[in-house]
Amino acid sequence: MIGEILTLAVLRSGIRLATPIALAAIGGALCNRAGVLNFALEGMMLFGAFSAIVGAFWTGNTYLGVLIAAVSGGMIGLVFAFLYLRYRVDLIIMALAINLFIAEMTVYFLRTFFGAFGSWSDPSIRQLPDIAIPGLSRIPVVGTLLNGHNIIVYLSWAAALGAFIVLYRTKFGRHIRAVGENQSAAETVGISVPAVKVFVLVISGALAALGGAFLSVGHLTLFTRDMSNGRGWLGVTAALFGLNHPIFVLFAGLFFGTADAVAVRLQTVTTIPPSLVQFLPNIAAIVALVLVGLSGRLKRGTLRMRTRPPQPLAGAAVAQKEQ
Amino acid sequence: MTPRRQRQLLDAALIPLLAILSGLVLASIFVLLAKNSPLVAYRELFRAGFGCTALARCGFLTTLERATPLIFTGLSAVVAFRSGMFSIGQEGQFVLGAMVAAWLGYAIPLPPVVHPALILVLAMAVGAAYAYVPAVLKVRLNVNEIITTIIFNSIAILFMTYLVNFPLRATRGSTAVTRPIDATAQLPEFLPGSHWGVGFVLAILAVVLVWIYLWRSVTGYEQRMAGQAPGFARYGGIRGGRAAIRGMLVSGALAGAAGAIEVLGVHHQVLQGFSVGLGFDGVLVAILGQVHPVGVLLVSVLFAGIRLGAQIGLQITTNIPRELGGGILALIILFVSARSLYTDLLAWVARVTGRQRAPGKEAA
Amino acid sequence: MTSPIDGRGGMDHQGPPLAVEMSGITKYFPSSDVLANDHVDFAVAAGEVHALVGENGAGKTTLMNILFGLVAPDSGSIRVDGRPVRIHHPDDAIRLGIDMVHQHFKLVPSFTVAENILLGIEPTRAGFVRAADENARVRALADEFGLPVDPTARVGDLPVSLQQRVEILKALQRDARLLILDEPTAVLTPQESQELFGVIRALAARGRTVIFITHKLVEVIEVAHHVSVMRRGRMVGTKPVAETNVRELARMMVGREVLFRVNKPPARPGRPVLEVDRLTVTRQDGVQAVADLSLTVRAGEIVGVAGVSGNGQTELVDAVTGMRPADSGTIRLLGQPITHLPVWDRRASGMAHIPEDRLTVGLNLQTTLDENVVVSRYREPQFSRAGLLVREKIAALAEWVVSRFSVAAARPGEDIATLSGGNLQKVVLGRELSGEPTCIVANQPTRGLDVGSIEFVHQTLIDARDRGVAVLLVSVELDEILALADRILVLFRGRIVGELDAATATEEDVGILMAGGTLEAVS
Repeated sequence: MIGEILTLAVLRSGIRLATPIALAAIGGALCNRAGVLNFALEGMMLFGAFSAIVGAFWTGNTYLGVLIAAVSGGMIGLVFAFLYLRYRVDLIIMALAINLFIAEMTVYFLRTFFGAFGSWSDPSIRQLPDIAIPGLSRIPVVGTLLNGHNIIVYLSWAAALGAFIVLYRTKFGRHIRAVGENQSAAETVGISVPAVKVFVLVISGALAALGGAFLSVGHLTLFTRDMSNGRGWLGVTAALFGLNHPIFVLFAGLFFGTADAVAVRLQTVTTIPPSLVQFLPNIAAIVALVLVGLSGRLKRGTLRMRTRPPQPLAGAAVAQKEQ
Repeated sequence: MTPRRQRQLLDAALIPLLAILSGLVLASIFVLLAKNSPLVAYRELFRAGFGCTALARCGFLTTLERATPLIFTGLSAVVAFRSGMFSIGQEGQFVLGAMVAAWLGYAIPLPPVVHPALILVLAMAVGAAYAYVPAVLKVRLNVNEIITTIIFNSIAILFMTYLVNFPLRATRGSTAVTRPIDATAQLPEFLPGSHWGVGFVLAILAVVLVWIYLWRSVTGYEQRMAGQAPGFARYGGIRGGRAAIRGMLVSGALAGAAGAIEVLGVHHQVLQGFSVGLGFDGVLVAILGQVHPVGVLLVSVLFAGIRLGAQIGLQITTNIPRELGGGILALIILFVSARSLYTDLLAWVARVTGRQRAPGKEAA
Repeated sequence: MTSPIDGRGGMDHQGPPLAVEMSGITKYFPSSDVLANDHVDFAVAAGEVHALVGENGAGKTTLMNILFGLVAPDSGSIRVDGRPVRIHHPDDAIRLGIDMVHQHFKLVPSFTVAENILLGIEPTRAGFVRAADENARVRALADEFGLPVDPTARVGDLPVSLQQRVEILKALQRDARLLILDEPTAVLTPQESQELFGVIRALAARGRTVIFITHKLVEVIEVAHHVSVMRRGRMVGTKPVAETNVRELARMMVGREVLFRVNKPPARPGRPVLEVDRLTVTRQDGVQAVADLSLTVRAGEIVGVAGVSGNGQTELVDAVTGMRPADSGTIRLLGQPITHLPVWDRRASGMAHIPEDRLTVGLNLQTTLDENVVVSRYREPQFSRAGLLVREKIAALAEWVVSRFSVAAARPGEDIATLSGGNLQKVVLGRELSGEPTCIVANQPTRGLDVGSIEFVHQTLIDARDRGVAVLLVSVELDEILALADRILVLFRGRIVGELDAATATEEDVGILMAGGTLEAVS
């Protein structure tokens, strides 16, 4: 039975499905490392999906569409950073508002400019081609798994590696980690905390949007409302599950992607209804979170994720006293 | 009431108003992009949402009816937030409460009044139970409740989709829907056809009860202290974890009730694609309403009116998609959370008009 | 002078020591209505060790934060080596050669010693850092100044005194010619403090100016050349250390004769109230914070637990009051075991707790006085009935606290965030004493308070003692212990290493025990 489910095709599919989650997760991990909680990854991903397909349509070139998606995602990150740094907006509330805004206004624009109702496509848009890496095709099992994906998949692996190198081998990466662990230490030493935070927010926006582009032009060429469908949140979860380490986070994304692929496979192999089968990636996410929670109990956690629920405005000024 | 307290309350009321204005102004840019007149758009929106031409065609009454579930989910968020839990699981609890009502509404025959009352109690129990797991995960393992409640929402919606499409499916038609509930289970309406009825009264009742719970009851005191100052609560002898979990149970019950009342009072059955955001809107209502029951009441009406106005006034009368309503609401939330924008502005106004804020023990 | 912020880190860290002159510095904090610095003039000569003293809240840290660029003064000027300068940010200060070691270290726990010292000025090759290079530079720096450290050690694992050394090296790496040390001995044992004084003297000998902030006057006499005293935001005066003594400095600090021993009637201890037997408490990181500790507090006596901060005080108090579970051992209150009882039950049995953190533990600043005052008693039948709070009774309790303990500026219906530190502590005291406890556990009860409030707290504890309450006083301020306690226990590494009768104990004796020494060895 397991052999029927965990086929090579399913694993390959898992690698593909992992891509948007992993991209969001890498961005999320970078933000967490800098002490910034980015809960807008879902919205950034959706916006990327939207910009990619609209960009591909307008320029006639899918690759350009992907680039436009990344840039526009970065811009969302910039707006986020600006509001956060300049107006001290509550990160979580702002993220929820941005997610809502993007979800609604992407549909608004589709309706206004394309007359679409619910979903949109156009025959002129070409999906991203699969890339064959020379040499990989000759390696038996691993080659089939890793070869012939589209560029965004490979970019996600490059992003994980790049993030790892930056965080642990470069001066700037050290500064990012310093800001996240002890902001006042970084400030006193002359590190520009705002610059670091802007950087991680912009990069995570671009990465998450790239993940969204994968959804809309990577396989099918289609945009539907709420297309990201929780993958941004799975990215947030994967970042935690991967302990904010870019390489582990990539594998966490693979874990969720595989769960997704298995769910799809179960639909064809068994008679379990699709809605129940979709439980699988969600349960996987909860299990992952529980594991992180358990492990946090064992060792001193370096994962500080303190979120406070919204407070009434009038009481917020008290924070001053608590120095 | 001291000047400081007066200023605090003024800020609490004034800033949301300014945020609403700012949201409307900024959204008008998108209206212009769609080559429409913002003034026309807003006029249609507010007329449809809050206007009343005849008792039979009263947008305002429909808004009140639409506000009912928002009041409940908003109260649910308020209770959760005030116990230190950033729970946005109202959507999932709502859906499960609705399923309880949709199923027991026809599955068990009971006399009127008893029938809906029992369903309501069970729906609240189910909602509370569903909130229990994320609460325990947070208290015991420090698992972030924002993420868990979002995932739990997905699971609940998937479960509802399954129920509506398979075991509880009533027709063979293209859209899955459950069997309509018996007349004995339905909540009466005040105005036939408007769906505005007992549900709204229950919502008002809930506002009062939640206020009493939070500020007059022992459990409410415990959970508020635990939410505001956990170290203090523990030091005083309050079991912080238990208080937080209790808060989540109450929160889940309120959201479950919301779903049940929506079925019992309005739809009488559940369609595929039910709810779509009423739970999450409750979170936004709580934020805008200053995390206070009375604020929730007022803001729910505002929210419902804007959404209704966008749906009927905009989309039908003009050709502006109703999603603009959601966009406006998102902008309002954004502006509310950028409160330093307004405090800076208000301070500048005070300076310019010569009313210097006297140096003293001052809340910025 | 070459810029220190280019990761140069070469062998030559020379540069003449700095002289600094601050004139007319004024700083007002509107949010807490405090005039921290009131036209302060402060001058330090090149190459000297200068002590800046004053009690809590005198304005010393603010003045130094201004010099280091963390805080902008409302008015006043600064001259370095005679030249007027503007310091807007620590960057400016560092560029001038001024650096500061704060009370709360600015270190990144997961980074190594070398990574911390070179933070922000890492030498790079095309943006990449090389650990070998960094370690070598730091080793050379440590050798040059005779401050040995392991560059590869993880800072989070180091003991506090070594962490402080890393902070000092960090400043030296940036060619600091004037070092500001903020309460450096607060976290050190007496022996480690002596080591630090050696370092300070060596730095002065090597051409550095050192300013150190302290409220321990004995240290001033030992190490400084000059001392400046601040009181209530004003500079009271500057004196050469050779021409003054502790008594005079204390008088300048406080403005009147300070009695180092409070006049209190002798204790008349009765039966045992609090009995702790072989208590062991293990911290989350596996360290045994309290190891096999036993003590007894009798009715009508104050037992003072002295010790350097970090030797298990927090864990001891937490275990006794129920905030933390004990691993083994028993705790009894009036003969009844309470070892496994939750906080509420201990309080109900007659235990009161004055916590070391009044802002986030002792009180909830976001809510009203009523809700603060009733937190330990709300389940009593008079305060709650049928699940609802009885507001009149709670208000009456709050009124009693306000009048009996002279709490100023408390407004009903408003949150208590605006109250001063002293008034807040009075609220805590009032609440804790309102239940007529048999035992009070007081942990650093006068931290951060002005002299008037300190006296009030001390008197309150003595009055309670005279009424027959058993008081367990835990404090890192030796003066406080010597003033209040009838019996002194010394806590070192989680154990009681000595017991002294307060009437005959000397500060030296207690200090030796606090540092882990033994009294017999000194002959």
